[in-house]
Amino acid sequence: MSKIIAENVNVYYGSKQALFDVSINIAEKEVTALIGPSGCGKSTFLRCLNRMNDVIDICRVEGSIKMDDLELNSRKLDVVRLRENVGMVFQKPNPFPKTIYENVAYGPTIHGIAQSKEEMDQIVETSLKKAALWNEVKDRLDEIGTGLSGGQQQRLCIARAISVSPEVILMDEPCSALDPIATAQIEELIDDLKKEVTMVIVTHSMSQAARVSQKTGFFHLGKLIEFGSTEKIFKNPDKQQTQDYITGRFG
Amino acid sequence: MNNFKKNLLKKRYNAERRFQWYGKIAIGLALTFLAVFMFQIFSKGYSAFQKTWIVTEVHYDKELLLIDAESPSKDDLENADYYDVAYKAMTSLDPGLPEEEDRQLIQMVSYKYETEVKDLLLKNPDFLGKIVPIKLTASDDVDQVHKGNYPRDIPEENRRVNDYQLQIYDMLNERGDILSEFNISFFTNPDSREAELAGIASSFMGTVFSILVCLAFSFPIAVLAAIYLEEFAPKNKFTDFIEVNINNLAAVPSIVFGLLGLGILLAVFNLPRSTPLVGGITLSLMTLPTIIIAARASLKAVPPSIREAALAMGASNMQTTMHHTVPLSMPGTLSGTIIGLAQALGETAPLILIGMVAFVNTIPGTPVDPAASLPVQIYIWSESAERGFVEKVSACIMVLLAFLILMNLAAQIVRHKFEKKWS
Repeated sequence: MSKIIAENVNVYYGSKQALFDVSINIAEKEVTALIGPSGCGKSTFLRCLNRMNDVIDICRVEGSIKMDDLELNSRKLDVVRLRENVGMVFQKPNPFPKTIYENVAYGPTIHGIAQSKEEMDQIVETSLKKAALWNEVKDRLDEIGTGLSGGQQQRLCIARAISVSPEVILMDEPCSALDPIATAQIEELIDDLKKEVTMVIVTHSMSQAARVSQKTGFFHLGKLIEFGSTEKIFKNPDKQQTQDYITGRFG
Repeated sequence: MNNFKKNLLKKRYNAERRFQWYGKIAIGLALTFLAVFMFQIFSKGYSAFQKTWIVTEVHYDKELLLIDAESPSKDDLENADYYDVAYKAMTSLDPGLPEEEDRQLIQMVSYKYETEVKDLLLKNPDFLGKIVPIKLTASDDVDQVHKGNYPRDIPEENRRVNDYQLQIYDMLNERGDILSEFNISFFTNPDSREAELAGIASSFMGTVFSILVCLAFSFPIAVLAAIYLEEFAPKNKFTDFIEVNINNLAAVPSIVFGLLGLGILLAVFNLPRSTPLVGGITLSLMTLPTIIIAARASLKAVPPSIREAALAMGASNMQTTMHHTVPLSMPGTLSGTIIGLAQALGETAPLILIGMVAFVNTIPGTPVDPAASLPVQIYIWSESAERGFVEKVSACIMVLLAFLILMNLAAQIVRHKFEKKWS
């Protein structure tokens, strides 16, 4: 079952083309990893999926990206509604400089998800529990979110992302700023979350892609070189380029 | 380590030590200048906070007051004739003086001494018919003699206080009838042509009103402009043009804004001349670019990751700006605002052009009453020849500096509070 179908996506930054004819099927309730060397366009593609490229004035996206028959690359699309359904976790943990509670409650507040204070408390608790952070912060919800450790901050960002029950979560190198222990926690979390949510994760760590994902796409110089099941990509890739990258011969 | 390397290392250390010394010398020089400046002002100005009084006796004689009623009402006291009573209070200091020389005694107190005699009786109606001691404001010249600012050893014809007056002064001083007290009237009186009566109430209120008007006009406009330009406006030639012009505006000499105020606010809109309203609007023209630049800089300093986080949560541009970016930029914006207001506080030239330099002897109650402002008051007084005004200039500078320090303190406190909340 495909959640997102991208066809012939081309992205331009001004006159420079960053993505070339990328077509990809992202399966529902699976983890899809996007790997490739720096500057290969994997983050650019990820940001097409929740229209974060809109923020960049000179960025232009062509092609079709469909999520459940909804065309994402359309002028008429309501990006606010889209981003309610497609959450994002960034490379550097970026909690709001507000309390832990306010961080998680922000999404439900602006989207009018909770009707009462009790409901909001419930959402905050559930989200923090799902993000495996509840036990560490339940006694200090009114402390500033930026005062947490790096790994906790990133889990707080995940809690924030899942607070609005999105169907898809995009992760842009979520562990690159974290130590191995925090990384392991996040990976475990990703594994848990995939029961409910479709996830696309951009990562520089091949082992991480191998550990957490079911499908893997390899990008190089703006092109999707190869896409398939993680097992196949890592064990027996079709393309020589993929083989070279996986085995660390370039990159 | 060979010699060459050793020498190089030594040179590097020496260079660093020298550099540190340059810095220390620079700071030392700056502090010395500041200390000299402060010493100048304080040594000249502190005496303005002392006021000299002459104590004498006044006989509230009903006959001289021309009061006929047995038990006079407040109105009777109000309308009585105090001329003779007050005159006698002064001439009684030296009963032997021939009548045509009386002026010499009268000149030793302020010209408002008659009002002071009247005010004492109005406050204490039971003094009627009695002989009571009274404090009268000493004239500027006696005041200066008492404070030791006036040389006594120059020839009499070059002195404003003649030998006879000095003799009376010495006599009173020996009797302890010359009082020196804290000068409340310096803070409660409006400006006056007589140094002993002049105060800063009018210019202080004028400054307060001007700053409030300036804040009310410039802050909202500047913050809205900054938010729009930074967060919403498309980046094109037109917005670049606006940005360049805002930066240029910040460098325009203030007198030009004064001309603008004169030409537009007074001539076209017919706003009342010499008022803090016009002064404040004129100053806000000056403050606007400062606040816009500060607000834009602090908006720009908000990390883009916060904007991305909010946008990715599905916040609209407006929500991202209002919920996250603007609150985070507030400390910087506020300190920029205070810097702008502090500049406006010390501004003289534009206010002179819109007529706030007029002699105002009333205390403004609203921003549309004529008023001066503290820096303009300093300018007016520094043009006066009387010695009494010299100390007043320094005292006024002290008040202005105190005002500035208070404002900066307020800015620090506000900034601190906001930052505590946001990080």
